[in-house]
Amino acid sequence: MTILRWQNDVSPVFFIVPALIVYTGFFIYPLVKLLELSLYKWDGILARKFIGLRHYEKLLGDERFWEALSHNFYWMIAAIIVPVLFGLLLAILLSRSSMYGSIIFRTIFFMPQVFSSVTVALIWQWIYNPSYGAINVFLTSIGLEQLTQGWLGDSALVLPSLFIAWSWVHYGFTMIIFIAAIDAVDEVFFDAAKVDGANLWQQFRHILLPSIRGALTTIILVTAISSFQIFDLVYVLTRGGPGDASMVVPVYMLESAFTLRRVGYGATVAIAMGLVIVGFSVLFLALRGIYRDSD
Amino acid sequence: MAYTAIAGFLSLIVVFPLVWVIATSLKDRRQIIQNPLGLPEVYQWANYADAWQEGNFGAYFINSILVVIPTALGVVVLSLLAAYAFAMYRFRGKNALFTFFLIGLTVPLGILIIPIFYQMVSLKLVNNLWALILPQTAIGLPFAILLLRGFIQELPKEVLDAGRIDGCSNWGILRFIVMPLSRPALLSVMIFNIVWVWNQFLLPVVLIQKASARTLPQGLSVFMGRYGADFGLLMAGATISFIPVVIVYIIFQRQFIKGIAAGALSGI
Repeated sequence: MTILRWQNDVSPVFFIVPALIVYTGFFIYPLVKLLELSLYKWDGILARKFIGLRHYEKLLGDERFWEALSHNFYWMIAAIIVPVLFGLLLAILLSRSSMYGSIIFRTIFFMPQVFSSVTVALIWQWIYNPSYGAINVFLTSIGLEQLTQGWLGDSALVLPSLFIAWSWVHYGFTMIIFIAAIDAVDEVFFDAAKVDGANLWQQFRHILLPSIRGALTTIILVTAISSFQIFDLVYVLTRGGPGDASMVVPVYMLESAFTLRRVGYGATVAIAMGLVIVGFSVLFLALRGIYRDSD
Repeated sequence: MAYTAIAGFLSLIVVFPLVWVIATSLKDRRQIIQNPLGLPEVYQWANYADAWQEGNFGAYFINSILVVIPTALGVVVLSLLAAYAFAMYRFRGKNALFTFFLIGLTVPLGILIIPIFYQMVSLKLVNNLWALILPQTAIGLPFAILLLRGFIQELPKEVLDAGRIDGCSNWGILRFIVMPLSRPALLSVMIFNIVWVWNQFLLPVVLIQKASARTLPQGLSVFMGRYGADFGLLMAGATISFIPVVIVYIIFQRQFIKGIAAGALSGI
């Protein structure tokens, strides 16, 4: 890397100031404001009242909040398994650069990543529709009518159904990171293993897995973090219903602040969510640091 | 060939819903009911005209463009300036400033939506597209600065020294040497932000209440609630909202994927 000596025209800080102003004004300021709001009881309109940490006490005993958070954790665990495995499978399939049409398949499989989540919601609303949706129509047509369900209206099925819709997008992310990691592995290792008579599982276990460990850490943590930010799909498809069966923390935050007009409490929910996410981010940075040191 | 067949079969999970959306957008009511899964017999292009005008997707489309362009340009220009200074110069407080920007990588936009709403209320920007542009530019900066700083640090030393010897000013080195050489990274940042901002949903849901200022994803969700039964129109609206971003993705997929991979894999 080059370090240039600064010439005496303008200070280098001058180049940073524009970014700093926007970043401070529209990111740092709201962040500080969020902490402040959580200390006040406020309906968003009338005068607010300072109540110290009372919202935090209330949060600890708020069953709706804990239920929403448990749904996010459920989501996180499922997310670490389903889209990660599917993405890995596809990456192994598609990273064989010799495969016919590999590039086109990469393009197709990754495409849901660029759809807006409202488009995704629209597609899955149709797939799950109880009367004309793809799943129930298909089940009926093969004579399994007794298995048809109201996928998004049943409190036992709604969360897994939403999760599947989300996974339909998220696997594209895991796939692309795995492909990048696998492509970086020297083909020579696989050739040598084949010469030595290693089977597919042994190749996977002893060559592929060790070389994608860093990518795997990244994917698991990014996936974990995004599991706590599930908003769009749930908001469009169920708003957390039926009852609170699919309530997740971000939707609960919005409901508290804007529907129920408990702005300070909504801010407290946001902070709790932020703490979980920052916790995972710090863990992520620490683990990345470890991998970098051992490289 | 066997692998191609497996991949082809699996790709149906993407291709099938997509073809269905587009096929439905070209059917009239009768065809949708009688032949829900087939291809349209008669192409009903009127659905698009109706969605564009009566469904207001024309206005939503323009609003989305008016948000995406200033945001993506803002992120690219501001982050290039900052990344250049961070990558190439020594100055007091540099590490502290850089760390200050890194805070933005750990806090997602979603948790700030409540204070952002009241900030926009006091700035009288609710229902104004600037309410979407400013926060998204701010939240886009940390990652862009990190990515560009990394890229600029790797530029060949000789070229930069040549510029210095030729008497370029600090500004001149940025303008005539660093900026042209950084084009691939700038494009990555730009494409990544275009796609992200185009699809942003939470911010408009809270900050835009007036129908005429809605962006595409928000307009589509309102449309789902109101015209949920008129599938042809609904799917035409959905197609209008995803076609531009799919085109951008297909043209620039290398840069886009590079942006995503860099975001996930770059060491900090």
